[in-house]
Amino acid sequence: MAGTMTVASKEIRDQFGSRRFLILFGLIVVLGGLSAYQGVDYIRNNVGSSFVYIFSGARMSFSFIQIMVFFGPILGLALGFDAVNKERANGTLSIVLGQPIYRDSVINGKFLAGAAALTTLALTTIAIMCGITIPMLGFAPTLEEALKILSLALLTMIYLLLWLCLGILYSVVFKKTSTSILASIATWMTFSIVISIVASALAGALVPLPGGDIIFTPGGQSGEGGQRFSVSPEYMEAMQERMALQTAIQNISPTQLYQGTASAILGTSSFGFGRQEFARVTTLGEALANNWANITALTVVMVAAFAASYMMFLRTEIRPGD
Amino acid sequence: MENIVETQKLTKAYGDFIAVNELDMEVKKGEVFGFLGPNGAGKTTTILMLMGLSVPTKGTAIVAGHDVVEESREVRRVASILPEYSSLYGELTAWENLDYIGRLNDQPKEERENRVAEMLDIVGMSKWADNKLESFSRGMKQRIGIASTLMKDPQVVFLDEPTIGLDPVATREVRDLIMRLNKEKDLTVVMTSHLLHEIQMTCSKIGIINRGKLILLESMENLNKTMSGGEDRRVEFMLTETTPDLVKDLESVNGVKSVAQENGRLYVYGGADSDLEVSRTITRHGAYILMMKPREYTLEEIFMKYYNQEVAG
Repeated sequence: MAGTMTVASKEIRDQFGSRRFLILFGLIVVLGGLSAYQGVDYIRNNVGSSFVYIFSGARMSFSFIQIMVFFGPILGLALGFDAVNKERANGTLSIVLGQPIYRDSVINGKFLAGAAALTTLALTTIAIMCGITIPMLGFAPTLEEALKILSLALLTMIYLLLWLCLGILYSVVFKKTSTSILASIATWMTFSIVISIVASALAGALVPLPGGDIIFTPGGQSGEGGQRFSVSPEYMEAMQERMALQTAIQNISPTQLYQGTASAILGTSSFGFGRQEFARVTTLGEALANNWANITALTVVMVAAFAASYMMFLRTEIRPGD
Repeated sequence: MENIVETQKLTKAYGDFIAVNELDMEVKKGEVFGFLGPNGAGKTTTILMLMGLSVPTKGTAIVAGHDVVEESREVRRVASILPEYSSLYGELTAWENLDYIGRLNDQPKEERENRVAEMLDIVGMSKWADNKLESFSRGMKQRIGIASTLMKDPQVVFLDEPTIGLDPVATREVRDLIMRLNKEKDLTVVMTSHLLHEIQMTCSKIGIINRGKLILLESMENLNKTMSGGEDRRVEFMLTETTPDLVKDLESVNGVKSVAQENGRLYVYGGADSDLEVSRTITRHGAYILMMKPREYTLEEIFMKYYNQEVAG
């Protein structure tokens, strides 16, 4: 344990002193502040709105959740992608492992340091957002809202740690940092962007919509001169099936799981970066009950990624040049 | 003298490739052991196994009384390694780097601080204690690297190519440092190098390894004796005058195989027991000996001889 804490304390110092972390930290805090300000604006204009809407920004703007969806993978991967292979490249791995410590101290220490940095970032951002908004609004969150914020913080930490663990895994699997950074970028793009396109295309191909079922008639609900359309039950059913399939495919992505769960906790619905709507307000208990599978999936992926990197690191042969 | 490193049939295979093949060697306490061999011969792999960082496929190795597999952590308490081309952490200062190594060795704060100061002093880097390593020259980094190996007060240090990439001044500094540590602290040093003259100047014993097999294990003293006393023994003379009669008489001296003249020098080939009679013959011919020098074989010649034998056979 002494070795783990020694490695962790050095790594924490490195993380907090690294430019890449400080830049991302600064960016997220600034964006979080702006999001909170917009949330305040929304709450002021909609009397009776929940305090947690400060994390949702305003309609047609970005929110804390969307900041995390976009930057979370970058943050986690950035802190983990070169954790082990950088030590190999510099030849410090055999020096550190040449000391009388257990081998897992190194990987545990690196994980703890990354976890500490990401937790600090998430909690600081949330604290700053609350700190800005409470004086502006003149009221504090209720107990239920405070618990929602706490749940959001915990979920965000799991989500960020998942990406950190994936980054560490890449740093163990790939000997070169250039390869692990490419793998990290590819993973981030796949789960953040490509998955939606693939899911849409796949769902479209697998569930075709019946043709000629939308009937347009002049006038009607759209008003004078407008058009009225009706949809057949078969079309509606196929559309719902397609949407369900698309969502199921998208849920392979941790970003989608996080976004869905975080939105449910806050009682909002998000539709990607820059678009969102507020859904019906649910209680925290309801949100957690409806999304426990998502939370479990995120946790399992995180643990699996760390377990894989842990096992691989322990089995890795130290060879000349390490 | 007790053995501090001892291996028996130590073998390491990576799939079908055998990096180290049934290596039997021993290093005694207080020796500076030079490990020689071409690239890929198995030197570094051997050192990694001796440090408990790589698990042998077969055979055993004992370092300072501890089995490298069963008591790997104990081995790492009493042995240190400085890998080839390695450097410590560039973003940390010299002091912080050594302090980190001390903490990994679980040294209490006060002891650690005293030790860091002492080590920096030993390697002559006290002035730069608060400078980041990334601002150091390669030679300075190497001195800090050596200091880091001493933080745990080891019984044996493994230095993998410690002078590689250094300029002549830094090379000499590192070499002197290794020899000083060996003398003053009775530290056992096992070092690899491609620079054969470096090994010759620094080591008291050498092992030559090729394709994973140890082809020679001998003290430098015995090696020089063997080589200068062998079939190829040659003594070089510089005389005030050389006459055809003298050459003829020298050739008839018991034990002398042949005599040759080149660039004003006289080369007498033969055993050491003929040296006295050769000197007498020269004096009898009225010549004075200005210089008499038995040929000293360089380690390169020794290495090449054994290497060629191994390759041929």
